[in-house]
Amino acid sequence: MTVAVDRRTTLAWLAAALSALPEAARGTGLEGTQWPTVTLKPVTAPGYGVDPDMSDPKVPWPLTLTAAERKAATALCDMILPADGTAPAASKLGVPAFVDEWVSAPYPNQQRDRKTIVAGLAWLDAESRRRSGKVFAASSMTQRAAICDDIAFKDRIKPGHEKPAAFFTLMRRLTLRAYFSTAEGWEQIGYLGNTPIDGPYPGPTPEALAHLDKIIAGLGLAAA
Amino acid sequence: MAVESYDAVVVGSGAGGAMAAWMLTRAGASVLMLEAGRDYDPAEAPMLNFTRDAPLRGVGTPDKDFGYYDATVDGGWDIPGEPYAMAEGTEFKWWRSRMLGGRTNHWARNSFRMGPYDFKPFTRDGLGVDWPVSYEEMAPWYDKTETIVGVYGNNPNLENHPNSGDGVLHDPPTPRAWELFLKAGAGKLNIPVVPARRAVLTRPVDERSPCYYASECGRGCAIGAAFQTTTSLIPQARATKKLTVRTDAMVHEVILDRAGKAAGVRFIDRKTGAQREARGRVVILAASTGETARILLNTKVAGRSEGLANSSGQLGRNLMDTVGADLSATFPALEGRPRYNEDGAMGLHMYIPFWLYKEQKAGKLNFARGYHFEVGGGFNEPGDLGGLDGYGAGLRARAQRAYGSTIGFTIRGEMIPNAKSYCEIDPVLKDRFGIPALRFHFGWTDQERAMVDHFHKTTQDIVTAMGGKLNKPPETADRALRKGGEIIHEVGTARMGADRRTSVTDPYGRCWDVDNLYIGDGAVFASKAHKNPTLTIMALAMRSADHIATRLRKGEL
Ligand SMILES: Cc1cc2nc3c(=O)[nH]c(=O)nc-3n(C[C@H](O)[C@H](O)[C@H](O)COP(=O)(O)OP(=O)(O)OC[C@H]3O[C@@H](n4cnc5c(N)ncnc54)[C@H](O)[C@@H]3O)c2cc1C
Repeated sequence: MTVAVDRRTTLAWLAAALSALPEAARGTGLEGTQWPTVTLKPVTAPGYGVDPDMSDPKVPWPLTLTAAERKAATALCDMILPADGTAPAASKLGVPAFVDEWVSAPYPNQQRDRKTIVAGLAWLDAESRRRSGKVFAASSMTQRAAICDDIAFKDRIKPGHEKPAAFFTLMRRLTLRAYFSTAEGWEQIGYLGNTPIDGPYPGPTPEALAHLDKIIAGLGLAAA
Repeated sequence: MAVESYDAVVVGSGAGGAMAAWMLTRAGASVLMLEAGRDYDPAEAPMLNFTRDAPLRGVGTPDKDFGYYDATVDGGWDIPGEPYAMAEGTEFKWWRSRMLGGRTNHWARNSFRMGPYDFKPFTRDGLGVDWPVSYEEMAPWYDKTETIVGVYGNNPNLENHPNSGDGVLHDPPTPRAWELFLKAGAGKLNIPVVPARRAVLTRPVDERSPCYYASECGRGCAIGAAFQTTTSLIPQARATKKLTVRTDAMVHEVILDRAGKAAGVRFIDRKTGAQREARGRVVILAASTGETARILLNTKVAGRSEGLANSSGQLGRNLMDTVGADLSATFPALEGRPRYNEDGAMGLHMYIPFWLYKEQKAGKLNFARGYHFEVGGGFNEPGDLGGLDGYGAGLRARAQRAYGSTIGFTIRGEMIPNAKSYCEIDPVLKDRFGIPALRFHFGWTDQERAMVDHFHKTTQDIVTAMGGKLNKPPETADRALRKGGEIIHEVGTARMGADRRTSVTDPYGRCWDVDNLYIGDGAVFASKAHKNPTLTIMALAMRSADHIATRLRKGEL
């Protein structure tokens, strides 16, 4: 682990502070959990460089999320995209591992996101404990949903929850990206490309053209 | 080490350099091509590799700005050890690559001809300068270039958008549904949407296969469908046995003989740091607009301080890029539409050419030059689906419904040269080889700002006609304008002209001050039409090389 002392110390402090929180905070009910300040030791692992072997892609940096963070992230990713009919849950498609890969990358954008995500995961567990006495991943689906409802809809962010909401938005972005990059995700969304075609490009199907005619007519436009 | 000597020394293996070498070797001349970057085999292109297998799902990072699989080697917005400076108040972005084939390995392949107005802009509106060549003189060179390169498109007889010769163009790919929808929407406002022109084959040419309608062109095209010099001009020139390619050769100055003629160039072997020389009867610089100016500015001429070929004082001046800004919009009519494979040729099938020449001529617009729209959208490989709200089943349904319902609009507009925009040698900064680095100055003017405002308003009108909504309201033109260099169409630092007092080269790219020194890249542009420059760079380089070949034959060089 490259994050070593600073971070562990901070998180230990945080955990201590938070474990003291639930009882006290549950009493008031209104304020919610403070956004934790986390001090992270910068990731110093090398990136993949300016001329990587593209035929054999590798992630050269070590993963940095703790087991507890990974659990919280997994639970949250599965709230964002749960299993649904034939659609697998985010965790079945490696999304939490991708979040870990992302926050552990030694690049500025990812290091910025790491701050948000590590703090956000700590917030999530603390807020969950405050409400139910359990960390997010151990709480019930209803309890998880109650937290998500406060931070997942841009027009309905619970006052004072702007930072958790920004964290949620980021987690949703990463989850969507990773999920819909998989074969199952392509099927879910209906991406049919990346398939070599012999001969000319066929263009829209008759069904797609019929739909086009309909929308053009619907808007009172002349057909192209 | 023995000094190598050739008929011609060509610096750079990108669009301009490779075309010059191709033409000269065909004419029987021996050519040494010096390329700063490493050797590159187009088979390295990860054509059908999955984005999901790439670190961070392939997103851009400082190591690979345009994503993991982008065919840019050792380059991007920054090259480690090869910095450049910017004057205070300037933000200029300079995209470089260090590989055989240069930036042609990953360019977007949009290839529009300049038209009659574009070569004589001063005559038309009194701004900037005219080119010393006309469209009519260039037309046959465009035909020849397009024939070799392979360009899809059609000939819709549009003002200042010349048709190509019979049989030159490849059939354009069938429009996608959203492009036809755009055509209907823009059509209501009498704005044309026509087949785009791209350097992508839709029928075989030589050993190169037609497009198979998959794989981003920016990854490089191992099958040779999307034009790059490493699958076409360079191997073809090599096949003549007249071409010697030397990679990892960083040229930093032109060698002059006692008579002031070019005798060759000095370069540094990037692997060993050793100083080397190469000799030729003629030297052609095509290291790209910025780098070519840098080599000339860095060449010491006895008794002069302004570099080589700079008696006009225009070297480094007149730096131009394309005007760029973007908007995107979402269209409820496109939501949940029937799925099919919309990859197509990956880039533009259709685009919006400039349509207001008459209004402009009549003084009805508050900007003098043209622009076109490049558009993107459709069922692309899903990437950033940000912007969606909520979570759970609702989120999944929204993602499915929204997929393929967004269209991105970008302006590609003409910048008029201005006194604020130029490059020079930085007084202190050097690269890791000790070569003095460039310092850029750049600024837009009201011309470009007014054009961006017009683009914003037009986009809004088109979006409204299509029942859509902009994803974000337009910003002020100043904020919306991309930085100088960011569109990666930088040209103009050694412009050609009819008068040696106001230009660096003659109409053939020959430096006025040095009879056997030629410039074969975008540095010679006298103006920067809104049409993407690379096709014109190649047509000019071909014409220049033809001129050189004739002179070599006549013993003039
Ligand atoms: C992502 C992207 C998309 C683009 N899309 C389009 C498009 O759609 N249409 C269009 O017209 N243009 C496009 N362009 C621009 C296009 O790539 C350039 O206009 C074109 O490649 C310029 O050709 P060039 O020969 O001048 O330079 P380059 O292609 O850059 O080649 C110059 C070569 O010279 C080498 N070199 C540099 N310095 C030295 C030195 N000192 N000694 C020896 N060798 C040196 C470089 O390593 C390089 O290989 C795009 C560019 C990018 C990056």
